[in-house]
Amino acid sequence: MNFKKEDENYIVCGAGGQGVLSSGSFLAYIFMLDGKHVTFCSSYGAEMRGGAVNCEVNCSDDEILNLQNDKADYIIALNQTSFDKFISKVKPNGTIIVNSSMVQENRVRQDINYIFAPLSELAMNLGNIKVANSIALGILSKITGNFSIETVKQATQNVLKNKQELIQKNIEAYQTGFNYTQKGDN
Amino acid sequence: MQVFNVPKSIKKDCTFTFCAGCDHGVAIKLVAQVIDELNIQDRTLAIASSGCSVLLYNVLDVDCIESPHGRGCAVATGAKRAFSANGKDNIVFTYQGDGDFASIGLAESMHSALRGEKITAICINNTNYGMTGGQMGPTSVLNQVTTTSPMGRNEQYHGFPIKTAEQIALCDGTCFSARVALYDYKNIINAKSAIKKAFEYQIKGLGFSFVEILSSCPTNWKLSPQDSHTRIKEELSKIYPVKVFKEK
Amino acid sequence: MTNKVLLKGNIAIAKAALESGCSCYFGYPITPQSEIGEFLSSEMPKRGLGYVCAESEIAAINMALGGTATGTKVLVSSSSCAVALMQEALSYAASDELPIVLVNVMRAGPGQGYIYPSQGDYNQAVTGGGNGDYHTIVLSPASVQECADFTQKAFYLAQKYRNPVILLVDGLLGQMAEGVEINTNPYQEIDNSSWRLDGNKDRTSRKIHSLEPNETALNKHIVEMHKKYRYIEENEVQCEEYMLDDADIILTAFGSLSRHAKAVCNYYREQGVKMGVFRPITLYPFPKKRLSELSLQAKQIIDIEMNMGQMLKDVQLSVLSNAQISFVGKPVGSWLKKEEIINIIDNIIKGGVNAGI
Repeated sequence: MNFKKEDENYIVCGAGGQGVLSSGSFLAYIFMLDGKHVTFCSSYGAEMRGGAVNCEVNCSDDEILNLQNDKADYIIALNQTSFDKFISKVKPNGTIIVNSSMVQENRVRQDINYIFAPLSELAMNLGNIKVANSIALGILSKITGNFSIETVKQATQNVLKNKQELIQKNIEAYQTGFNYTQKGDN
Repeated sequence: MQVFNVPKSIKKDCTFTFCAGCDHGVAIKLVAQVIDELNIQDRTLAIASSGCSVLLYNVLDVDCIESPHGRGCAVATGAKRAFSANGKDNIVFTYQGDGDFASIGLAESMHSALRGEKITAICINNTNYGMTGGQMGPTSVLNQVTTTSPMGRNEQYHGFPIKTAEQIALCDGTCFSARVALYDYKNIINAKSAIKKAFEYQIKGLGFSFVEILSSCPTNWKLSPQDSHTRIKEELSKIYPVKVFKEK
Repeated sequence: MTNKVLLKGNIAIAKAALESGCSCYFGYPITPQSEIGEFLSSEMPKRGLGYVCAESEIAAINMALGGTATGTKVLVSSSSCAVALMQEALSYAASDELPIVLVNVMRAGPGQGYIYPSQGDYNQAVTGGGNGDYHTIVLSPASVQECADFTQKAFYLAQKYRNPVILLVDGLLGQMAEGVEINTNPYQEIDNSSWRLDGNKDRTSRKIHSLEPNETALNKHIVEMHKKYRYIEENEVQCEEYMLDDADIILTAFGSLSRHAKAVCNYYREQGVKMGVFRPITLYPFPKKRLSELSLQAKQIIDIEMNMGQMLKDVQLSVLSNAQISFVGKPVGSWLKKEEIINIIDNIIKGGVNAGI
């Protein structure tokens, strides 16, 4: 009998207003465009702006069976609170991508990989702080190899439709993320 | 020589089962005459509520659905919106008692008026719950003796009655609100003209139209039919003035 | 690339309702189903259809009584404690034989509970929260795709049997997004000209009522309703079977939790345990006959639910063999995870006792 392999699990977490849910659903949309099965669950509550927000994206070649998971293979943490809360949820050998513009670098766990990137700063350098998440997705694309920048471009066009300027800005941001190398990495 | 005609919109060979002297029969006849005169029998939907008023559907010869207690205006809203969604101009009206319209169903009644639903509501106000045996209702007047206010309605203990037609007139979506009575010929004629106006307002699509009818309940009032009408004339119409409160 | 769109269960339901020819929506906000009403509040007026932000859930479901009586397809959606408010009118709709489609996106109870997901309304939906001797057809989707597909099916069954249909949706599913295709309605239109109330132009007037003072007539009406229910039980049962051909151990679960049950099943199959999953899709009519047959070959039945064992009673009534029946459940909150379920089932298999909860 042929058993399905485990799903891949992603979490995006941060504060309300940081675009956590939109980047999570965008990630799910990218996988869907690639013909994969996806589920997208947002943190389930009456969160106000500024409150903690997180969402879970699961992706698989087959039907997704585990809809809610405790742990994730990849986590994007956009602020300090979410980094502190979610670092324990990274699977062993999993990776956490951290917005070091807002989070103190602290490698408390030895069994996981860290990518500290000043997402907010990089975004401001591009002229729009709102594209910080797109930079994170660019990094994710590079390290997972699970989705191509081409798919990301297509998805951006589908979602943003006629907003050419915004599409261009986001694509620049992915490229920035994709090309980003941490200090100390080669 | 035929001096009396049964309206076309009253079912042939049906039996009116209301108590002797009850004004429901007159009220329903007026509604039937209006439906005839406006020539809307084949496109009218009646909503019969719970209580004596439900018996409407045994005698009125139009399509009819019974509503749960108090929900007449909600059922009517749904029907009217559904007709409208299908491009139909059917006429929808409710026929309710005062307990149904103004107590258990007050939220549905008032919000239908506030939304300006293009429906007509007829409310029979007989100042008690008739079918269940004459308990105190929202419209029982102060000092009125009922089976649940045996010492009379007391403002301190039971609170005040509701003046329904006045309340409905206050709603911005209401285009017509009137109170009528049936205790003499003149009032019956006026009542019919108010009912007709209410239906005409619906046909014109102007909003929620409402007629409250002061009606007798000789059985539960423990009065003769004549004395019941005297009570409406002498007592009730002083508390519940017979007039048009709003006309857009 | 794909034809799918990424939609929350709630939005998929709303879109599928429009595709089914639904002409009116009546509702009142309550988490976790508000997106259905929000979405339709912009779509219905655009199409000249009916939409009312009702003053209460009581009003909303009664508007549905009036709307469906005219022969129009009407959708009502709500959640748990507010569905409790609708039970009176649902009982009327069953007796009046009006085809209301009601979506219950379940939250936690009893009482106000909270907005956590739960499967605590199985009893409310299946055994009926209203008064009297009636049934509503209950469909239970396990994915966003099924949320859409079963909405269309709900409209079809409601029209076909002139009976209220409840789409019983896990709160998790209402809020979760998956890739979904909203199909053109695959079902045939049912002619309702024999009963709808649209004016007595070329016919005698009709009345729709549940009040029936005549004892004989009332008895006859209820018996007729139950003849219909027997027919539905014979013809409309739907279930999903997963790896059941040789299963010694049968997991039973409904809704989206059945997917976790499948993950558990896969784990045990890898260990060489002959396990399968049985998922009732119609909760009423419950797939009793099929579960009875399957139970003959099974040693153990393990029922898994996000409640304290509501479907469990239907499972117990269906199993006619000596198979041992156990229960794994949790009342509300995050869905029982694969690992949590496996821990409990390990104990059940080892100890052979009811180690659930």
